[in-house]
Amino acid sequence: MENAKDTFYITLRNRLSTVNPNRTMILRAVTRPGILVEEAEAPVAELPLDVFVLRWTKLDADTQLPSTLTQMTCEIQYATAGTQNNAGLDRGRALEAMDDELLRLLCPSSAQKMNYAQTPASQMGTLIFWSQAVFEPATTVRERMGRVVTVSVFAFQEQGER
Amino acid sequence: MSTAPLTALNAMPPITRRVRAYFAPVDRINRVASVFDPSVSGQFSLSAPPSPWIDLGWIEDFSRKSLSKFSGLTTGSPGVTQFQVKETVDASVSFRFKTWSKLSMALSAGSQHMNLLAPAAGAAGNGSGSKGITPVSLAPSGSTATFLSLNAGGSASFTAGCMVAVDIDYAGQAGFVGTGVSAAYVQSAAAVNNDPDYIRRVTFNVARVTQVTTSGLQLAQPLIGGVPSSTMRVQPVLGFVDREGGDFFQEWSALFVMPGEQGERILFYYPRLQAMGGAEEAATTLVAPIERIALSAAFRALPVTDANDGQQAVCFRSFLPSAMTLI
Repeated sequence: MENAKDTFYITLRNRLSTVNPNRTMILRAVTRPGILVEEAEAPVAELPLDVFVLRWTKLDADTQLPSTLTQMTCEIQYATAGTQNNAGLDRGRALEAMDDELLRLLCPSSAQKMNYAQTPASQMGTLIFWSQAVFEPATTVRERMGRVVTVSVFAFQEQGER
Repeated sequence: MSTAPLTALNAMPPITRRVRAYFAPVDRINRVASVFDPSVSGQFSLSAPPSPWIDLGWIEDFSRKSLSKFSGLTTGSPGVTQFQVKETVDASVSFRFKTWSKLSMALSAGSQHMNLLAPAAGAAGNGSGSKGITPVSLAPSGSTATFLSLNAGGSASFTAGCMVAVDIDYAGQAGFVGTGVSAAYVQSAAAVNNDPDYIRRVTFNVARVTQVTTSGLQLAQPLIGGVPSSTMRVQPVLGFVDREGGDFFQEWSALFVMPGEQGERILFYYPRLQAMGGAEEAATTLVAPIERIALSAAFRALPVTDANDGQQAVCFRSFLPSAMTLI
């Protein structure tokens, strides 16, 4: 399952660097594409603005197949306060831009599964694939306007894979 | 010698959560089904069935029906039923294969099942595949059920990961054809255009290649026909195709196992099954619109003669109780 989660994240990260190379963040003193996996970073009280945050939640597995089919739910959270130049009055537009970027990141809805636990990363035998994005209603907390998008990510467990 | 007394447990209802399917070929030429003896092999490891049974994995929507008809023999006035008679013995079984393979697809197809031979350059298109590229002969020796020994240069036509069909050339014979499994019935040479590739087009002797070497092809799975003869030839296969139509009936022996939660086991052995419907699929929604597509299969059970008493039967149901339950 870890390979599927890694592959999903890195696929989206690589696509983001093409879709919007300007959406970057500085994390641990390194400038990176503006997307992160919550469980792989230090806990924070409040998620960063203008960044896609992946949170893995539910897990289901169909074990009655020769290869177990796992279904993992990924909540993609993002929020924005707009830009300082516009005093945050463009936060609706900024959120819409992130909505559009996310749709483009999720298309096409499959990727070759990779093993990133070794260097160099190695290609595995199956593909991961995911469902259409389900957009929750936008929420507003003070200056922050955000949204949660849910995606189900599917992957077959390969022989010897954890 | 004596043993300490054990305490028997009250009988419990069998509780199961899934059914596993195994199939074995029927010798169509000699009309001999594959035998499953529950007294000998009833407790086999579900992942390692005894020969010649082939594991087709967990199935779903398993349903058995007895279609046998009983009626009363009435005499007197007013008529009173004095005896019962069995008018017919008949049964059906249906389920869904969760995975698609050569075998599960063929079993559920209800007719001939064909291999899509890699097409020859310029061959005319056809719904069940066009003429295949020239087959490669096996070397006179060295082949096994998992390795195809080829003559020098023969490996060049294949790549690691490709699929192959291995069988003899069609040479004008009529009747059942196919190594290991009777894959089709040829009425006449003219009916199959006297095509030397016809047997490889229908054969179940197929496998995935995991490695190509200068001496031959390493296979990912053993050939259903066992060690191939040196007269066989090899052709690359791209996939499989079946038809709504055709007049051939696949016939297979089948075994279904329900493992109980307390260690008990229910087994259904059908010596002879023939498909009683055409190819159909069933979709299960994972997350709309993503669906898992299963192969629907329905069979009619045909009879064999029980060697113990000469009675005809179409299905044998066995129950192996869990340890120490009252029986």
